[in-house]
Amino acid sequence: MLRVTQTKNSLLDGASIAEELYTTPKDGEDFFESLDKPEKEPTKLAPRNTFIRPGVLTTVRGSAYMEYGNTKVLAIVAPPKELIRASARRMNMGVLNCYVNFAAFATGDLESVAERERHLGSMLTKAMEPVVCRTEFLNFQLDIRVLILDDDGCLLSTAINCCGVALVECGISTYDLITASTACIFRDHVFLNPSAKVEELLWKHRGNSNTNATSSTSSVQEHGLIITASMDTFEQIAQCQQCGYLSPATYVKLLDYTLTINKSLRQLIRGVLTKRVKEQHELDLREKAESALEDQRLEDIIEKLKKQGLDEFIQSNIKEDPYVKRI
Amino acid sequence: MAYVALSEAEKTYILHGVEDDFRCDGRSRRDYRPMELETGLVSNASGSARLRLANTDILVGVKTEIDVPNPLTPEFGKLEFFVDCSANATPEFEGRGGSDLAQELVLSLQNAYESPLAFDYRTLCLIPGQQCWKLYIDILILECGGNLHDAVSLAAKAALFNTKLPRVTATLLDAGITDLIISDNPYDCTRIGIETVPLLVTVCKIGDYCLVDPSAEEEVCSTVSVVVSVSMRNGEPFLSGTHLTGGGAMHRDTMRNCLQLGLSIGEHLDKLLTKMLKLEQERVGPKRPKTVGFLK
Repeated sequence: MLRVTQTKNSLLDGASIAEELYTTPKDGEDFFESLDKPEKEPTKLAPRNTFIRPGVLTTVRGSAYMEYGNTKVLAIVAPPKELIRASARRMNMGVLNCYVNFAAFATGDLESVAERERHLGSMLTKAMEPVVCRTEFLNFQLDIRVLILDDDGCLLSTAINCCGVALVECGISTYDLITASTACIFRDHVFLNPSAKVEELLWKHRGNSNTNATSSTSSVQEHGLIITASMDTFEQIAQCQQCGYLSPATYVKLLDYTLTINKSLRQLIRGVLTKRVKEQHELDLREKAESALEDQRLEDIIEKLKKQGLDEFIQSNIKEDPYVKRI
Repeated sequence: MAYVALSEAEKTYILHGVEDDFRCDGRSRRDYRPMELETGLVSNASGSARLRLANTDILVGVKTEIDVPNPLTPEFGKLEFFVDCSANATPEFEGRGGSDLAQELVLSLQNAYESPLAFDYRTLCLIPGQQCWKLYIDILILECGGNLHDAVSLAAKAALFNTKLPRVTATLLDAGITDLIISDNPYDCTRIGIETVPLLVTVCKIGDYCLVDPSAEEEVCSTVSVVVSVSMRNGEPFLSGTHLTGGGAMHRDTMRNCLQLGLSIGEHLDKLLTKMLKLEQERVGPKRPKTVGFLK
């Protein structure tokens, strides 16, 4: 992940390091050795095993749950509510706010969670802004909340996918379906949909990644990560976040990889949403049938009563008031 | 960014100007506004720079502190950015109004400087694994006239160039404890290499065209912009942190064109900045112009 906080060094203060994956530069090397490295050029551009379920919560209008490999994310969209303080800047557009929260058990290091939440929130807002028709709710704000249940890499891209589904479920008008994916390059190996360990390696081992580069000064060891969110009907890129150090050619290469993954994800999300609509339609039909049945039953009763004579029925149903009777 | 109220007619005027490659202030789409740069004007900071890009006014101060390096990167120093949006710049920044913008700027700077290839953290190392320099880069936005990303990164780079780290000698005491002696002589100092330090270039899309250095009015008209972070290494441009901003989307080919434009402009800008900084540095003694700062 694009994590920008540097963890404070507590080792030399005598305190123990809390649940760090790597404690010395050597550990990272060991991990990199143990990793089964993908080929230099990935041949199969596919998303991870994905599970998406819209409408998981009944208490809010729009919700979606998504599993992307081991990354588990829940997104909630509430209907737009009126802005309390309207400022001049917001006159011609609705306001979109995204909040990201980690579940307490989602991540090992608790120290930097608050900061990460804020950063993810602001990046998510930037990614979702282009897709929502913000002109349709002037002077209103739309809140999207994301709860991260498990973090195994590709956090931001999974959150974007999940929010996209939740928006549709809530009935907010969007320009297109939005899909996102992540790719990174580390020591010439391209990792698609990197896991948390690879991302951490990339982030924490920036120090060691260029030891080879300094010895062979001519070539630069590129390393970096790209998160691309796209809307494929008109092949628009909604957001493209990059970090690390990449040559322009590599950047475009990684961008194309993520765009291809986005296309196949889009098929999946479309399938899920169509199924959801059909399911909803069936539910509606069933409900209609049931209410028709109920109407029929009541009608029958009324009919029967009419035949018996209504007055008689009413008389028989009036309980005599004990107090009135006494007088 | 600071909000400027524009009518539809004014927006159309700007849009047509951009289409004809002749902007409101007479520039073409690839031109920057005039810049003024001055370094070393804050006496309490180790390094400082003030940049004025037309109406945008930025003051950067670099402060130094000795810290303990991260155990994972024992030979790296640390950098920390802080952006303060002064309420003088626009009334909107009053109270906590500027914090969103400040956070965005800090994030893009941190992202751009994160890679050790973009900024050589080794120069900030004193004793590997024990002591290192930590630089606090404090950025003050005094006036907002558009294109903050570019102005801030240029000023930060200039301030880093101006930064003088006092020379430190270490003596080994008993039990492996080291004692640092910081030189008293203010001229006995080391400098920071800025060859690869990245610059941010905002490429703004107005209508069907991409342009650099948007003014505040042009920023209102733009649908989306790409912030390209350009770092020069061995004479070749590299990307060290790029993102889209402005709430719009763009096609892949447009994105590639924007990157190309950003890279070529960044390369040019970097060359010019380095040249000007060197020129200013050489003007010592009686040739050195008086510090003007804001008194003009």
